[in-house]
Amino acid sequence: MAGRHRDLSDRDRERYLRQIPLVGEEGQENLLNASICIAGAGGLGCPAALYLAAAGVGHIRIVDDDVVSMSNLNRQVLYGEADIAKSKAGIAAEKIRSLDPGIQVEPRDVTLTEETVFPVTEGMDIVVDALDNYPARYLLNAVAQERGIPLVHAAVSGYFGQLLTVLPGRSACLQCAVPNPPAGNPPPVLGVTAGILGCMQAGEALRILLGDEPLAKDALVVWDGKTGSWEKIRVRRDPGCSACGRGKNNG
Amino acid sequence: MDDTIHVRTFARFRELFGDGLEIAVAAPATVRSVAAELARVNPAGARELLDGEGNLSKSVIVMVNRERVAGAGREDVPVHPGDEVAFYPPVAGG
Repeated sequence: MAGRHRDLSDRDRERYLRQIPLVGEEGQENLLNASICIAGAGGLGCPAALYLAAAGVGHIRIVDDDVVSMSNLNRQVLYGEADIAKSKAGIAAEKIRSLDPGIQVEPRDVTLTEETVFPVTEGMDIVVDALDNYPARYLLNAVAQERGIPLVHAAVSGYFGQLLTVLPGRSACLQCAVPNPPAGNPPPVLGVTAGILGCMQAGEALRILLGDEPLAKDALVVWDGKTGSWEKIRVRRDPGCSACGRGKNNG
Repeated sequence: MDDTIHVRTFARFRELFGDGLEIAVAAPATVRSVAAELARVNPAGARELLDGEGNLSKSVIVMVNRERVAGAGREDVPVHPGDEVAFYPPVAGG
């Protein structure tokens, strides 16, 4: 949790007037006092950060080592042409702060490695995997397991996307669900596909913070933007998994 | 009696192969022979379903009767008439 406990103020009661009937005052306070790390400030991370901030999550850490480029702009909706060549983490934090100066936003312009992934997840209640490659996703998944932090994974390609929510010790992890990563170059992505999945990640994080069962626990929830359908592919914990099972100390 | 195998596909594979397919393969059928038949009737899709050696791509998630089949021997898992085999290609982008 982010430092001192924050109680609902009159300003909060007004700001979240249309949300408190759904989540309750206690739920809203849980959001205000929660800390979420968003790993990756790209097509998934931008909408996830926007909606988590709008919902009133009090502390958001945004991790990305990249700078904004022109070809990001079809899907990375926190950036514009004036931001090109600037740090994604820095610009994303600036934009989120401008939406709500009351929340603590912390940019981390770092590459996820075995050394950095531990400090980056320190003190977090939830980690959002909005990364774009499996080696970094597996690193984050392994550390989330080790620290016992819930992880909300999503990935996209073209018109399609997948969502998986990992509750350490209670559900299948990313390595159980996708033991062999797909190969190939960065895929084309329709901006709305990333938007839909990034919003779903924010929704899963909110469900966890509000004490509801995640939609994508023990299931890859797959979005098919060609047919407009969601489907669940059931996933089980792999007892020999190298991240959450017997294999975790053998690697 | 039902003598075909039902094939379900998800996401990109649905776009490539269609969904709700009924295919006939010679007994004794396996996950490998079902994938090979899909690839035979759809060479464009074959490039994403199979690797360069004609084996099922490692990353593809396979379920038989909605139970995941994984590991080195998954292509040899037997499939019987009336069974359902499902294929999903996980995605990576962010």
